[in-house]
Amino acid sequence: MTEFYRSYLAVAVLILAAIGMVGFMLGLGRLIRPVRAQEQKYIPYEAGSDPTGTFGQSNVRYYVFALLFVIFDVEAVFIFPWAVNLESLGWFGLVEMTIFVVVLTLGLVYAWRKGVLRWA
Amino acid sequence: MWEQQVAFWVIAVAMAGAAIGVVRANNVVHAALFLIVVFAGSAAQYILLLAEFVAWVQVLIYIGAIIVLFLFGVMLTRAPMREERGKLDNSQRLASAVVALFLFGVLAVFLIDAFGGTELRFRDSMVEVGSAASVGDSIFRQFVIPFEVVSMLLLAALVGAVALARRD
Amino acid sequence: MIAAAPIATPAVDLWAIAPIIALVATGVGLVLIRALLRRNQAVTPVCFSVAVVGLLVAAGLLARQWHRVRDDGPIVSLADMVRVDPFAVFLGIVIVAATLAGLLLAYAYLRREDLEAPEYFALLLLSAAGMLMMTTANDLVVVFVALEVLSIPLYVLVAFDRRRLRSQEAGLKYFVLGAFSSAVFLYGIALVYGATGTTSLSGIATFLAGNTLFEQTTLLVGLGLLLVGLGFKVAAVPFHMWTPDVYQGAPTPVTAFMAAATKAAAFAAVLRIVLTAFPQYRDDWRPILWVLAALSMLVGAVAALVQNDVKRTLAYSSIAHAGYILMGVYAASSRGREAALLYLLVYAFMAIGAFAVVMIAAPGPDDAKHSYDDYRGLAVRRPVLGGLLIFFVLAQAGVPLTSGFVGKLELFGSVAQAGETSDYVLLVIGVLSAVIAFAFYLRIAWTLVTAPDDDTAVAAAYSTRPRRVDGWTGIVLAGAAALTLVVGVLPGTFIHFARDAVFF
Repeated sequence: MTEFYRSYLAVAVLILAAIGMVGFMLGLGRLIRPVRAQEQKYIPYEAGSDPTGTFGQSNVRYYVFALLFVIFDVEAVFIFPWAVNLESLGWFGLVEMTIFVVVLTLGLVYAWRKGVLRWA
Repeated sequence: MWEQQVAFWVIAVAMAGAAIGVVRANNVVHAALFLIVVFAGSAAQYILLLAEFVAWVQVLIYIGAIIVLFLFGVMLTRAPMREERGKLDNSQRLASAVVALFLFGVLAVFLIDAFGGTELRFRDSMVEVGSAASVGDSIFRQFVIPFEVVSMLLLAALVGAVALARRD
Repeated sequence: MIAAAPIATPAVDLWAIAPIIALVATGVGLVLIRALLRRNQAVTPVCFSVAVVGLLVAAGLLARQWHRVRDDGPIVSLADMVRVDPFAVFLGIVIVAATLAGLLLAYAYLRREDLEAPEYFALLLLSAAGMLMMTTANDLVVVFVALEVLSIPLYVLVAFDRRRLRSQEAGLKYFVLGAFSSAVFLYGIALVYGATGTTSLSGIATFLAGNTLFEQTTLLVGLGLLLVGLGFKVAAVPFHMWTPDVYQGAPTPVTAFMAAATKAAAFAAVLRIVLTAFPQYRDDWRPILWVLAALSMLVGAVAALVQNDVKRTLAYSSIAHAGYILMGVYAASSRGREAALLYLLVYAFMAIGAFAVVMIAAPGPDDAKHSYDDYRGLAVRRPVLGGLLIFFVLAQAGVPLTSGFVGKLELFGSVAQAGETSDYVLLVIGVLSAVIAFAFYLRIAWTLVTAPDDDTAVAAAYSTRPRRVDGWTGIVLAGAAALTLVVGVLPGTFIHFARDAVFF
């Protein structure tokens, strides 16, 4: 158990070091730099031209991609424990996992044929 | 072990602070980023409880996929990204404060009453229980039916999302 | 990594879950057909036929299972997660019948509203598969997964009509509140697991019978949260806030399906959890059910009185009916269970019939506006349709010679049998609620019969859109009316049917 915790302690130290370093750099910058707030400094940056504002109309496609990613990410999360126990689960596990993957592949085929995966 | 206690309290305070940040942030995107801290803290708590697989699933799915979905959703609805405090707040502050206090009171009383003096004792054999191998064992043997049904659930979610989000 | 010796895998009895497999396979098949025949004109009729065939196969399998489990005893299978007994098969038949009705009603509706049909059918069937799973669940995890499988397609179906704001609003409300209640349910499962060490319903019962818990807070709070989560699905007060808006905003075939089938599935879960897992805690969950039943009956009936919209009135009345069924669950006797099951069967058909008529008689392009003014004189203009709506509405009110009367009689009888003071108080509340309900049902009937005024706008509205009752909707209306009448006139067979289904 202590090796378990020790290995994750390393992860924690890494994260803290990252936060600390970034925080230090940004904080130091904020302390040192002069603050003169002008309205034009806070409009969104758009290279060279005046900002037109928000996204265009093709927004939904990005969202559907993110949604598909969630669904297939959950599938991957189920494949991990199966892969770890591949031999001890034998044919039974193979059949189960095949059904699972086939159903979700069918979902992917459906999304593909509906044109959801096109240009975005 | 006192180290676990200290770690628990540090993570818990960080999570509580980030949760307050989610609710009080002026900018919706900042709220989503605070939510990442909450999820990461939750994953760290799972590690403390020796549930390694669940912790990694939390990081992979919640932080990796769901927050991304949130952010895309925020961009999709063109939520006010500037500091427009007034539009993000519901006006019923008193009612929500009362409900929140009540909920806090009930939960506190219940948790202390049920789990007050309990002390968690971890043994080395428990590390194996939280690993991916052992979780996989129980998913594919005992919980076969829920597992297969989850695939149907994911298919239904996919079909439903495509049906709703199509651009015609 | 050393290869571990393969341990025994759970016994898989495919016949036990055959109806669920049939529905799931049909749903998946519909998705496949839709993917392959993308823009072919024939895709909707093909999908419709496949869906109907799938439902009929599932019904046949359920009928076969009925004989087997009634004579040979329940089948418990798949690592003790699935339990097929007469109770599950009875409610399974109700659910499949309600799904078939929802399917037939939707065919013409989708064509008229110009919506995509195959996805609708696939989602409907997947939701029905989740409902069937919930009736056969023997483990809290399976109940939860089945709850999600039945809910998520329903969220999408409620929001299916993307052009109407009310439909989207209804979908969003249902989704947010439904997700929240699922989370509460899950918290309840976690607490019960923490208290007993198992999520299997029979396992919990065994544990509680064998051990006395030192402190019961965890278990009781867990039980309470489980009832809260399921109370939302059943539309019991105070978890009913979503019902009027969702029933009104959803496309009417979806409302019919929800009113009939979701209630059956959710009550299956409530009955199983309360009677299989926690029989020793009767004195704890009965007061909860008393309060839920009393509030639902009263609030449902009173709130329906002040509505101006037919669909909303029917939604509040469905809350009241959920209260009546909760009364049967509260009775906790085998007669109470039988009454609850019978009422679920008869209410399914009364609700489907009423909503089918509302679907056809929809006065304007917006399916969420069904005000009383638009319905005035419907029975005069279209006697058969208006007569059917009056019949279904009076059946819901509990007029003798209809199934509603038989159902209410059984329910009130089961509560009266128990004999405690609180039972009699609940009975009085129930009767009071039925009397108040009579008022608004009569109001609907009266509106239909009254000849319309000479107001030109109102006259113009309903004279331009008489919709033809197409074949499939006609079948649904005829079937629902026939069943409502037959159960009312000759209740014996059906009461026997429900009595056989009590055992689990």
